[in-house]
Amino acid sequence: MIRVRSLVLLVVIILMIAACAPGGSTPVPGTPGTTPAQSEPVASEPAESEPAESEPAESEPAESEPAESEPAESEPAESEPAESEPAESEPAESTPPTGGEPVVGGTLAFGGAALAASLDPALTSDGESFRILQQIYEPLVDLAPGTVDELVGVLAESWEGEPSDTEYVFNLKQGVTFHDGTPLNAEAVKANFDRWQNFAEEFQANAYYYGAVMDGFGPENLISSVEATDENTVTITLREPSPTFLFGIALTPFSIVSPAVLESTNADDPTASTLGTEVVQGGTGAFVLEDYVPAESATLSRNEDYHGEHPAYLDRLIILPYADPAARLQALQAGTIQGLDLIAPADRAAVDGVEGYQLINRESYNTLYLGVNPTATEGSPLAEQAVRQAVSHAIDREGLIAAFYGGGGSPADIFLPPTSGWFDSVSEGVEVYDYDPDAARTLLADAGYGPENPPVVNFWYPTEVTRPYMPDPAGLHQAVTTMLEEVGFQVTPGSAIWGTEYIPAAQNGEYDLHFLGWTGDFDDPSNWYGVHFGYSQGEPAAQFGCDIEGLEAAIDEADAALDETERGAAWNEVASIIQSEVCFATLVHGDTGIALTDQVQNYVANPTGSESFVDVWLSGE
Amino acid sequence: MTKFILRRLLLLIPILLGLTLLIFVFTRLLPGDPAQTILGERATPENMALVRASLGLDLPLSEQYLRYMGGLLQGDLGRSFITNRDVVNDFLQRFPATIELSLAAMFFAVTLGIPLGMFTAKRRGAWLDQLGTVVSLIGISIPIFFLGLMLKWLFAIQFPILPDSGRIDLIDFIIPRVTNFMVVDTLIAGDFEAFVDALRHLILPGLALGTIPLAIVMRITRASVIDVLNEDYVRTAHAKGLPSGMVDGRHVLRNALLPVVTVIGLQTGLLLGGAILTETIFAWGGVGRWIYDAVTSRDYQVIQSGVLMLALIFVIINLIVDVSYAFINPRIRHS
Repeated sequence: MIRVRSLVLLVVIILMIAACAPGGSTPVPGTPGTTPAQSEPVASEPAESEPAESEPAESEPAESEPAESEPAESEPAESEPAESEPAESEPAESTPPTGGEPVVGGTLAFGGAALAASLDPALTSDGESFRILQQIYEPLVDLAPGTVDELVGVLAESWEGEPSDTEYVFNLKQGVTFHDGTPLNAEAVKANFDRWQNFAEEFQANAYYYGAVMDGFGPENLISSVEATDENTVTITLREPSPTFLFGIALTPFSIVSPAVLESTNADDPTASTLGTEVVQGGTGAFVLEDYVPAESATLSRNEDYHGEHPAYLDRLIILPYADPAARLQALQAGTIQGLDLIAPADRAAVDGVEGYQLINRESYNTLYLGVNPTATEGSPLAEQAVRQAVSHAIDREGLIAAFYGGGGSPADIFLPPTSGWFDSVSEGVEVYDYDPDAARTLLADAGYGPENPPVVNFWYPTEVTRPYMPDPAGLHQAVTTMLEEVGFQVTPGSAIWGTEYIPAAQNGEYDLHFLGWTGDFDDPSNWYGVHFGYSQGEPAAQFGCDIEGLEAAIDEADAALDETERGAAWNEVASIIQSEVCFATLVHGDTGIALTDQVQNYVANPTGSESFVDVWLSGE
Repeated sequence: MTKFILRRLLLLIPILLGLTLLIFVFTRLLPGDPAQTILGERATPENMALVRASLGLDLPLSEQYLRYMGGLLQGDLGRSFITNRDVVNDFLQRFPATIELSLAAMFFAVTLGIPLGMFTAKRRGAWLDQLGTVVSLIGISIPIFFLGLMLKWLFAIQFPILPDSGRIDLIDFIIPRVTNFMVVDTLIAGDFEAFVDALRHLILPGLALGTIPLAIVMRITRASVIDVLNEDYVRTAHAKGLPSGMVDGRHVLRNALLPVVTVIGLQTGLLLGGAILTETIFAWGGVGRWIYDAVTSRDYQVIQSGVLMLALIFVIINLIVDVSYAFINPRIRHS
């Protein structure tokens, strides 16, 4: 019976170690922290050099919403002064320090936080999966390199259809073949759309983006019909106009897979499908999948027949998973990899301006906010608008960026990040709260609070997690608490475990003040304001307890507006109400960083993390 | 002997059955569920209900358990809730990496630990012995995470003589995976250079992971050798004028080895399931990290089936230890 005891002991030990270990950090595709959309880097901006092969382009569409999610990853955090990064700025960054003519050849080993959760693009929703899969598979349209609000055709050469339309016609690029040699045609596209719409229930949990963009699954969802009008034309009819449709299908999960491969891998059968696990040749992208070892490596090699402007410059691209940011940096320093994503904020100094390395700042497409809930506690001082305004004025956003983001970030004046194509129209004339402790004290005094009777609030932060928008929850909490106390608040701190306790409690509206954040799925204001403040059966979102006269009507109106100008103005109205009432205090848009050796040329970062390696090349080999 | 092994194998059935229930209950007791992991910030009550339903988590617990057992009895260990990957495949792909790493660690532990234990035992009380005790204490208490990062900093970055992470240099070598034991696969591929590279990749993680077992093996060996050295038959052997090398080898070590073998078996079993930190910092794709991720993401299916498979292997290793015990000591065989 010693055996039984040692066995039980083993199980207990394994479970205990795992349960106690520092969870959140660095989630792996599907780890607590990760979440559909959010996992993933976030990033910076367009680029200069080398347009990137892009595609015939043809733009068109109008509004926006691209998106991708952001990887989860996490970063240890630490504080650390700012040095590094000018942060923000604008157009962004790509790499070319040396410039010159692209060199063909070489192998680039690149470190991410994890490999793909699944090799079936439709079943992924995190940035680490997208990093690999978008080199192999392609959707009909995609974001232009470095942008979040400009679409280019990829498999579609051109398309007709506006946000106010219900019919979209895609003219496919001719002569494109999948890696297995079969041709891309309208039937192939239809086969993929049909597959997604009819996903078995077991798949639906993982097909987050299809469900989100198409409003669920099955014959009742947004898609009314998908027709192969002729060999190279696909007509998609929607049940109602959807401003997020076009940018939604630019996401990696909407990549078109060879029907022959779908069939040979039993891709529709949840218990038998091998599309998510086997190395298959089902894509059209610039790289083909050569080898895949779970948790070890994904090896991609150049697709010589690529239909884009040019085949990839790299012979091979190897993606390696380093869950720990410190180990990732060591691998770069040891020469095992030549590039890595999601550098820890504290480690930016190790590569920024250091000889032999380059740091690419990926501008934020996320926002950290402080939820301010007037109804969480009976008789809360936050019920008064002036007190909520005092909270927002009390916070030194630049100080937080310097201390916790390695300087990579920008103050969040409003919820929507400046990288959004909607930023100008939505932010226009909206009240913003500068760091002004005196103003905060005055507001509190006017509301009848003073040193004798300070406003008492509880303030919560999550444990076992980091996020690109929240690199160090405990440190941020301490810093913000100090700022609040500085102007006269009396703060009762609290913490809870991220996925299992914190999120449910925050969403139930149990906290006076709490940290949370968001990374955009689509570049549409509805994905920011609508998701958070939308009413459900006449009730405001419990998380913020923000029941303001006119808010529900304003959101409904904004949701229904299809014309770009009207839509911008309508969401501007929503943002104005929320800002002036301070339903939350938006704090920081956190940038992420890509570290490369100076050999790596022409890496173009995108705030959404949607980045292709087709234009990347290695110098000096 | 056959009967002994058979009896032990039969005992496995009730043990494993009980284990499935135990693990099932444990996973359900963990706060949170996979739907929260999948949804993260998007975990609104409506979204949660949808995802739970599609994962079958809305069923009563008893039904969930029966379904799991039903699959198990048909040899189906299920698919991950998070990745939808087949659990057995994932396990089999990763387990060779874990075995390789554990063996490397145990290689260091045994080849260094036993001689060191013997050496210090024979110099009991001398300063070398005391130094050994202090060093082994440090070995037991140093965090693997820290040790691993330090080893890498020293031997891969400051003095780049060893690779920092991974199982082989993927830029230089393309090795078809046959067994997933890198050392074996490189030999199958007939690439000796790759074989050497694979061995070099084992050194730092093996050292990091082997430190604790090394310290334990050394201390147990020392204690056990000291005991045996006091036995009458050792004194007799010396009195008979046997060369001291022969006394040490044939009489002392052989008799002192029993507890050491037990510890080696237990430690190997623990390594197989517990190399989480080493696997994380050395980007080593083994089962430790896999199960760790499954627990943090509440991927019930992976936890249940992964731990079950590990437990099965743990039991088998223990069986092997018992059998080798019986070989070393006939008294056990006949009892």
